[in-house]
Amino acid sequence: MGAVAPLSTKVKGMLFNKYLNRYYLKYAWLYLIGIAALIAVNYFQLLIPEYLGQLVDLCSDAEKNGTALTLAAIRDILLGVLLVAAVLWVGRTTWRITIFNASGKMEAALRHDMFLKAERLSQRYYHENSVGTVMAWFTNDIETVEENLGWGTVMMIDAVFLSLLTIWRMVALDWVMAVFLSIPLLLIVVWGALVEKFMSNKWEARQKAFDHVYDFSQESFTGISVIKAFVKETQQLHEFASVAKKDKEENISFVRVSVLFDVTIEIIIAVIMAFLIGMGGFFVYRLVTGNPVVLFGHAMDLSAGELVTFIGYFETLIWPMIAMGQIVTMHSRARASLKRISRFMTEEEEISAPEGAVTLENIAGRITFRNFSFSYPGAEDEALHDLTFEIEPGETIGVVGKIGCGKSTLAACLLRLYNVEAGTLFFDGVDVMDCTPASVRNAVAYVPQDNFLFSDKIRNNIAFARPDATEEEIEAAAKFADVHDNIVAFSDGYDTVSGERGVTLSGGQKQRISIARAYLKDAPIMILDDSVSAVDIKTEEEILGNIAHARRGKTTVVIASRVSTVSHMSRILVLDNGRVEAFDTPARLMETSPTYQKMVYLQALEREVEGGKV
Amino acid sequence: MEEDMQKLFGDKHLSTKEMMHRTLKYLKPERARFCLALFLILINVGLDVILPMFIRTVVDNLTSPAISLRIIIGVAVGYLAIRLVNQAFLYAESMILQRAGQNIVYRLRMEVFEHIENMSRNQLNEMPVGSLVTRVASYTASMSDLFTSVLVNLLRNLLTVVGVYAIMFTISWQLSLAMLGFLVVVLVTSLVFRHRVTAIFREERKSISDLNTFLNENLSGMKLIQVFLRESGKDKEMLEKNEALRRARFRVTVAFGIYRPFISMLYMLSIAVTFSLGVALALTPGMIVAFYLYLSNFFNPIQNLADQLNNLQKALTASERLFNLLDVSPEVRDKPDAVAVDRFKGKIEFRHVWFAYNPDEWILRDVSFVIQPGETCAFVGATGAGKTTILSLIVRNFEIQKGQILIDDRDITEIQIKSLRRAVGQMLQDVFLFSGTVRSNITLNDPRFTEEEIEAAVKYVNADSFISRQKHGLDEEVIARGENFSQGERQLLSFARTVLHHPQILILDEATANIDTETEVLIQQSLEKIRTIGTMLVVAHRLSTIQHADQIVVLQNGEVIERGTHQELLRHRGYYYKLYQLQFENGEGA
Repeated sequence: MGAVAPLSTKVKGMLFNKYLNRYYLKYAWLYLIGIAALIAVNYFQLLIPEYLGQLVDLCSDAEKNGTALTLAAIRDILLGVLLVAAVLWVGRTTWRITIFNASGKMEAALRHDMFLKAERLSQRYYHENSVGTVMAWFTNDIETVEENLGWGTVMMIDAVFLSLLTIWRMVALDWVMAVFLSIPLLLIVVWGALVEKFMSNKWEARQKAFDHVYDFSQESFTGISVIKAFVKETQQLHEFASVAKKDKEENISFVRVSVLFDVTIEIIIAVIMAFLIGMGGFFVYRLVTGNPVVLFGHAMDLSAGELVTFIGYFETLIWPMIAMGQIVTMHSRARASLKRISRFMTEEEEISAPEGAVTLENIAGRITFRNFSFSYPGAEDEALHDLTFEIEPGETIGVVGKIGCGKSTLAACLLRLYNVEAGTLFFDGVDVMDCTPASVRNAVAYVPQDNFLFSDKIRNNIAFARPDATEEEIEAAAKFADVHDNIVAFSDGYDTVSGERGVTLSGGQKQRISIARAYLKDAPIMILDDSVSAVDIKTEEEILGNIAHARRGKTTVVIASRVSTVSHMSRILVLDNGRVEAFDTPARLMETSPTYQKMVYLQALEREVEGGKV
Repeated sequence: MEEDMQKLFGDKHLSTKEMMHRTLKYLKPERARFCLALFLILINVGLDVILPMFIRTVVDNLTSPAISLRIIIGVAVGYLAIRLVNQAFLYAESMILQRAGQNIVYRLRMEVFEHIENMSRNQLNEMPVGSLVTRVASYTASMSDLFTSVLVNLLRNLLTVVGVYAIMFTISWQLSLAMLGFLVVVLVTSLVFRHRVTAIFREERKSISDLNTFLNENLSGMKLIQVFLRESGKDKEMLEKNEALRRARFRVTVAFGIYRPFISMLYMLSIAVTFSLGVALALTPGMIVAFYLYLSNFFNPIQNLADQLNNLQKALTASERLFNLLDVSPEVRDKPDAVAVDRFKGKIEFRHVWFAYNPDEWILRDVSFVIQPGETCAFVGATGAGKTTILSLIVRNFEIQKGQILIDDRDITEIQIKSLRRAVGQMLQDVFLFSGTVRSNITLNDPRFTEEEIEAAVKYVNADSFISRQKHGLDEEVIARGENFSQGERQLLSFARTVLHHPQILILDEATANIDTETEVLIQQSLEKIRTIGTMLVVAHRLSTIQHADQIVVLQNGEVIERGTHQELLRHRGYYYKLYQLQFENGEGA
């Protein structure tokens, strides 16, 4: 437990790539091939301006010599262009297929690691963090990371190598011209970086305005009853008008900034181009007229063709210069996402087996509570205080009490969903804290209160604990829970899919399928957490009868909100405010337990009041 | 009704003619801007297309024996001037289009929002809030994109292709004819690719939604997975879905990995053809350079055309959904001769009222009662007996099927709905708080209330003590639909809201939730005062409310089974007596 604090601080430092590094290594070969292909593409695409320049010079020479240029004379150029075409074709296909393959594999691997982590995190974690929050890491953040692993890598390599190669070629061609150009080009980089920051703020403002439109509409339509009740439709529409207007203005303002940015970049480019044409042309003119300009001791001896090449290089350089700012933003966004993912990956897994843990096997089903107290992690008050009682092997007991008395907490503790105090809870006399959590859970078949089913075939939902169960076993379980007849009545029978994409099952049907699911596990201990509340009295009696019959010799704990559910059981545990009020036979409880008496009385009354409905 | 439902969900297909007709209606107010933008685009494309000709001139000049400095400088200046002017036009055009588009979005949003506001509760219940919101927020933008982005870009690309080709044709018609071959190949490849990739994208989206559904469900059901020790089984399922998504994404990568490089290869080939034909046809170097420059201007728009056809489809679908929603006519409406009533005395009468949300599932059966002005009437009964329904019928949230509801002896369908609702102060069971402040939640953003009125209302309902405890008093922020206030405090806010609006009839659906003792006392005292404002109808869960009622109507399964005062009904020892014992004497156990 002590390791938690340092871990979370380490995230900020070098550790942040810990969850990616091994995949970088694993897929290094894909990245290497991709990067090599990218660099090759960069190198070869720079040949085209060179060929164009050569062609211009050849034409020019031919014209001056008064001869016609033949195809044979430009054979090398043509072959060169065809080679470039081939390299670009193969190279571009290669880098896309290797680098994006690697980033996709890394994304999948990381997501899988996260899911494994999610499976190891305790219920405490899921109480403190909503599924929505965790989902955001699984979707948005992981995609942002992938984007950076894929496109980020490509853009980075492309921008760096393309600009370096181009500058190298420019310097080789004419270093003075190259120096002249580098100054305005730097301007583009600086301008791009400055504007990028400003633009992402503007973009966020626009996003915020849109979110406001979204939230405002959502709130208005959710609260439409209030709006209608107070006849505020017009008022609300006026409010909406101002929200929509704000969105409109933010949009216009964002577009203005981004268009202005593009326009300024275009203007810088236009000025440089005009300069290249004018000055370059001037240098060529002086060279042709036999009086070359000398700058920094360097004679400006560019031919017309070389000037064309130079212009071509310059146009190649524009994209990497503008992209620099975007790359930085992309990278910092990905870092923030990766940080969130890393934090998730370092969350503490507090339910684990102690060293030398015992594996519970074939237990008889005796459950012993000895001075057992429990409070939820982080809660001040105890949910259960000082419970001491014993459930005999093979006994079926009921648990009743008011809402919030600790019934469900009792079930959660029996399932080792939380850590409990050592030496207070025993299965067959073995302290559960000394056992592996898996073997404790294996010993218990559980029917949850919320009767959660997976969007899967009913068959698979019932066979959840034992996917290898036979058809007969599944049907037997369904019959045990008195739901077989309902299932076969569906057109797809046991293959009916439950949930959003299938049929909507009633609360009672879901409860009974949950019961069948737990029954099929055939564990020494079974816990039903208020699991028959949505079925009618007759079905309930049927199921209780089945429990008495089919689970003879196995421990069964029936938690109930209706007294009738448990009134035929040998013993009933009455909880009150986290304490044992009584644990006795129903007959004796009628004399000793005020809570039980009241529940019995109220139930009788309720039957009368609602009698008309049944 | 059947047809209405279909419209709500956007399934009704509209003819192209109708779509065109209706979308153009929204363009109308912006047509001046639009025409100006189109004009600017025309100039824009024209200037863009001319630019390479400057390069041609300068290259030809530089390579000719008659090299002239004047021409070089002239071209440089001309080139700069055109590009600068073009940028100015581009800026103007973008901003004009943006403004026009945003105006369309704004007007559309207002129309859709108002339309949704006027739909009845029944109609609104049929449609998830999420899809209504998407229609207001996103589909409106998609529809405006149709004009400002999709159609405009389509036009720009077409103009560019045509313009570029025309100029190429003037440079060399033979070379241009050769390029026609490339045009066809690029166009066909792009269309085929677009078609193919749409299917692949669909697959990818499906894999994403499959995986996300899986993750969402299993993170929610993690407790069960752990309890049933199904971690490894679920892990296997996850791997499968995860791999399916990865493969789908890889297919997208492969599709683009084949298409894009293929197009760039074609582009390179077209350069090779230009070089060789240029030499063979003895074109000048300037012509070859210009042709080279035109090639990229030519290839990009063709590739884009395929994308834009896709966007067009998307925008049309969004528009269709919007029209479908706008075609749903509000269910509860004023009769043409309905009168506006300023003040009600407050006599309320139900005459043999029958009501069902769904045909033949009667919620109220032959309900009759009379409440005199100023009286308080409590409705009691088991869950589902129809108490809350009665209250919502008075304000015409729903229309009854049989019988009559009268206020001041006038059938409520003859009263304008708005004037009726204005007179009735509704205090609903779940107090809905909007984001904003305590004040805005009391006034509901109505600026006509003065500070004194607000404070008086707050004091009247005993809400002043807890509000003054807040750091910012009336300006305290309401967080997450009111999470920062207790159930009881929210009740008091709802009372203040109601009292401020001066109703003559009050409707109260008491909350069943537990309220702390201190606030409970405040609420009870407050209710005693509120009762005196006018006629009051309460679905009662409080003993004190019931005891003070002038009349109690006991409901069972939608029927009135007992009526009288508390004492009378207790003496009668009937259904009410048992209900009373169940709900109030042992309230804790229920």
